[in-house]
Amino acid sequence: MAFLIDCPNCGRRNPYEFRFGGECKEAPGPDADLNTWCEYLYFNENMSGFQQEWWYHNMGCGDWVKVRRNTVTHEITED
Amino acid sequence: MATTKKVLQYKEPEKHYDVVIVGGGLHGLATAYYLAKYHGVKRIAVLERRYIGSGGSGRNTEMVRSNKRAHETLPFYKDSLAMWDDLSAELDWNLMVQKKGIIALAHSDGELASMRMQSDSQRRAGIKIDMLDNQQIKKMVPSLDVSDQTALPVLGAQFHPEGGTVHHDAAVWGFAKSAARCGVDICVGIEVVGFNVEGGKVTGVQTNIGDINANKVHVAVGGYSSEIARMLGVKFPVVTMPMQVMTTNIMAPFLNYYVASPRLHWYTQQTLKGDLILGGQLDPFSSWNSYTTWEECSERVATILEYFPDLAHARVVRSWSGLCDCTGDSAPVMGPSGIDGLSLDIAWGYYGFKATPACGKYSAEYIATNKVPENIKAFSLDRFFNRQRVREVIL
Repeated sequence: MAFLIDCPNCGRRNPYEFRFGGECKEAPGPDADLNTWCEYLYFNENMSGFQQEWWYHNMGCGDWVKVRRNTVTHEITED
Repeated sequence: MATTKKVLQYKEPEKHYDVVIVGGGLHGLATAYYLAKYHGVKRIAVLERRYIGSGGSGRNTEMVRSNKRAHETLPFYKDSLAMWDDLSAELDWNLMVQKKGIIALAHSDGELASMRMQSDSQRRAGIKIDMLDNQQIKKMVPSLDVSDQTALPVLGAQFHPEGGTVHHDAAVWGFAKSAARCGVDICVGIEVVGFNVEGGKVTGVQTNIGDINANKVHVAVGGYSSEIARMLGVKFPVVTMPMQVMTTNIMAPFLNYYVASPRLHWYTQQTLKGDLILGGQLDPFSSWNSYTTWEECSERVATILEYFPDLAHARVVRSWSGLCDCTGDSAPVMGPSGIDGLSLDIAWGYYGFKATPACGKYSAEYIATNKVPENIKAFSLDRFFNRQRVREVIL
């Protein structure tokens, strides 16, 4: 695989050990209307480039990791 | 038959068109063809940034079928499957339509029950479908291991006799040639970089060679739809993921059917040439890079070998992947975009190829008449806000 994910507990690991948790989005407030919630749930920026995303290390430590990854080149950078 | 007539002449785009179609893949070319041929639209341009059929159109596994689940979408897929039959004659181009039949294996009682339920909704929509037991499967595919010695033994299967394969590159060239002969301008190397929208109505597109005015713009860009969304300042309900496919070396004919295991995410068929096409699962994370990986290849090969042990001598000779923009409910987005004059044909995920003729037909109907055809009403973008998501199962 072309990239490794830096897990704070387990070190640099193969991404297939992780479960992809999607891009980081800001959750709407408790008083947000239904349309805002629908958009939050189903609609994605789906960047072709750098995006902040969640990865769950399910074959490792079981922690959620936040990663900034380029979805075209798979380059991973620090925030 | 040898021909001296040039198949297709690419054009330089003019400054104004009635309809501009963004994306020169199968859906875009088919829409252009049906618009020109059946709706009498004269000035149509198809803009493609690389070469025609360079995206998902030429990277799929050539499977055509209509064994979907959600009842509101079945007439659409049925229509599409039936349209492939006459297309070779209509386009005057051999699309190598081969309806060999698809066998989808079940490995658990739950899966069998789900397949029976699915078969009932399909029969109700008029789609031919049968359930098979292990003896019948063994008779049809002698090389398949249906014994209880495999990791997840086969318990039965669903047989979709009308499903099969169509040569995807032939389909691209057939539609492109016929569209061009109906007067459509097919322009390659033209990249759309923005849209001109005035007062909620689209007036044209910005490209790498300047603006092109259009009364209507149709977006059929396959896996790249979110790039269009960013130009429009909106979001689409998709995540782009690559689907990896492999082919083996050429072997003597032994497999007459398309065999699939929805549970273990593999499917395989032997082409007329003799090689096996092996697929395929989406990579489980978003990616815009059409790479292939060892992990995916080894998992696919291991699961297929479990059921076809005689293939142990086969070699994987080529692999590739294509981008799929997937929605959460395994159904596409077609029709109005919320911007006047701009229509969508996106989010086709990994099931866009089989829908090509119907997509072309209904998209053209929508663009020409401005009325959403009955068969694509379920695919509207509004469904995500109205809690009317398509009840599709992944297959």
